[in-house]
Amino acid sequence: MKAKSERRRLFIGDQGLLMNWDIQKTVWDYIFSKECCPVNFSESPLIITEPYFNFASIQEAMAEIFFEEYECQSFLRVNASDLSDYHYRKDNSSAQGCLVVDCGYSFSHIAPYIKGKKHKPGIKRIDVGGKLLTNHLKEIISYRQLHVMEETYVMNQIKEDACFVAYDLMANMAKAKKKYPENDIVMDYVLPDFTNIRRGYIRTLDQPPITEQQKLRLNNERFSVPEVLFHPSDVGLDEMGIGEAVSYCVSRCPSVVQSHLYANILVTGGSSLFPGFKERLFKEVRASAPDEFEVNITMPEDPTTYAWHGGAMLSRDPDFYSFVVTKEEYEEEGPTICMERFDG
Amino acid sequence: MSGRGGYSRESGRLKDANQRRVLDEATRQRRARQAVEALDSDNFHDDPHGDLVANKNAPKFQDTLDTRETRKRRSKSADYYKFKYRRTLPQMIEYESLVRPEQPTFVDAQVPPSNFPKRNFCAVCGFPSGYRCITCGVRYCSVSCLATHAETRCLKWTA
Ligand SMILES: [Zn+2]
Ligand SMILES: [Zn+2]
Repeated sequence: MKAKSERRRLFIGDQGLLMNWDIQKTVWDYIFSKECCPVNFSESPLIITEPYFNFASIQEAMAEIFFEEYECQSFLRVNASDLSDYHYRKDNSSAQGCLVVDCGYSFSHIAPYIKGKKHKPGIKRIDVGGKLLTNHLKEIISYRQLHVMEETYVMNQIKEDACFVAYDLMANMAKAKKKYPENDIVMDYVLPDFTNIRRGYIRTLDQPPITEQQKLRLNNERFSVPEVLFHPSDVGLDEMGIGEAVSYCVSRCPSVVQSHLYANILVTGGSSLFPGFKERLFKEVRASAPDEFEVNITMPEDPTTYAWHGGAMLSRDPDFYSFVVTKEEYEEEGPTICMERFDG
Repeated sequence: MSGRGGYSRESGRLKDANQRRVLDEATRQRRARQAVEALDSDNFHDDPHGDLVANKNAPKFQDTLDTRETRKRRSKSADYYKFKYRRTLPQMIEYESLVRPEQPTFVDAQVPPSNFPKRNFCAVCGFPSGYRCITCGVRYCSVSCLATHAETRCLKWTA
């Protein structure tokens, strides 16, 4: 086993990390501008989210920018799933733990929380997120049908409109091999031309064929793309998929809390929005979890804003101001105060 | 099924293979790695609706001259942060080990390899595949997909 892990390539994209300060500052300037979300930092505390195990050099730069540049009076740096866990505890006051599965844009994370505290050895990252899935769809469509490598925006819409997670991959493959109408997966996607058609749309094969518009034929692409979340090795990425990683992360937690984690799985993030996601995840987790444990998966109505709402709730918590670092503290004690308070 | 050509007869294929250049394992792995890296590449493209939608206030990243002009009033420019904090990944990892020794890091948080066997899909059509291209090792499922593969990507990928 060791030999295998040593041969393994380190896979880190820098895209999910905050590295380009020039662009990032432009984004923040816009976000806090009059036109977007005018905010008075002398009155409003700021909660900012970052990936798990973010680099200290990035954290220090963020603190400096917000305290010195924006003159932020109080500042709280958290992981987005900290806020999801907080939200979940407000909704489920008897829950003893929560396993957050967050499928984002640059990567997906599994993070166990035990009574509100994250258990760091159980936090793992899968380097598959919405960006990789869109790139994969672009790549296979460009090879099989039409060159769309520069059409990220449209391809992302196709992914959102047409892709789904297969409950049983091989059964779907077998069906997709057949011809319509026995194959109810195959469909056309009419591409936008940005004059008559401003947004692409699905056209099922029971409708009369159209010839005047450019279209793509979608078949196994519809489910083989999201499948990468569950089997990153399908695209050559040597990592566990989400289902397998859930059991792995739970196994890295104290045995007394494992049943609570299986019973309180919370799914968030835009890449969890594929139809069939929850059912497939349940199937995989149920198959690997010990039989005596209950498995429960909660999918919020809007998995993309669940953490944000958790943050809004946290800002009304009576203890909120004991979590933040103030400008005065930062000026007196320097950047280490952030690490002391936020890393606990 | 028009692309059968020399692939339909078993003997022809084998003879062909003897004459053909066969990629070594290191090259095969390098090509596979490049493919994964391409999937992680930045994929920003302009929203084609950009000019059509009403929001004219969205940030424009191209006009750095303008923004620099307005930012002069501020104490520190974006360039200040850029130069103070722009570190390469190896530098960030090294700094991390000084600041938080013996703590799990971003690198450690990568999930381990799967314990399930790797599944094989045709590089051309995406359906389950039972065969490997003799030349480059890529998966294919049928004679027509092998023909497409040979005509398009087989050796053309190697730079
Ligand atoms: Zn094929
Ligand atoms: Zn080949």
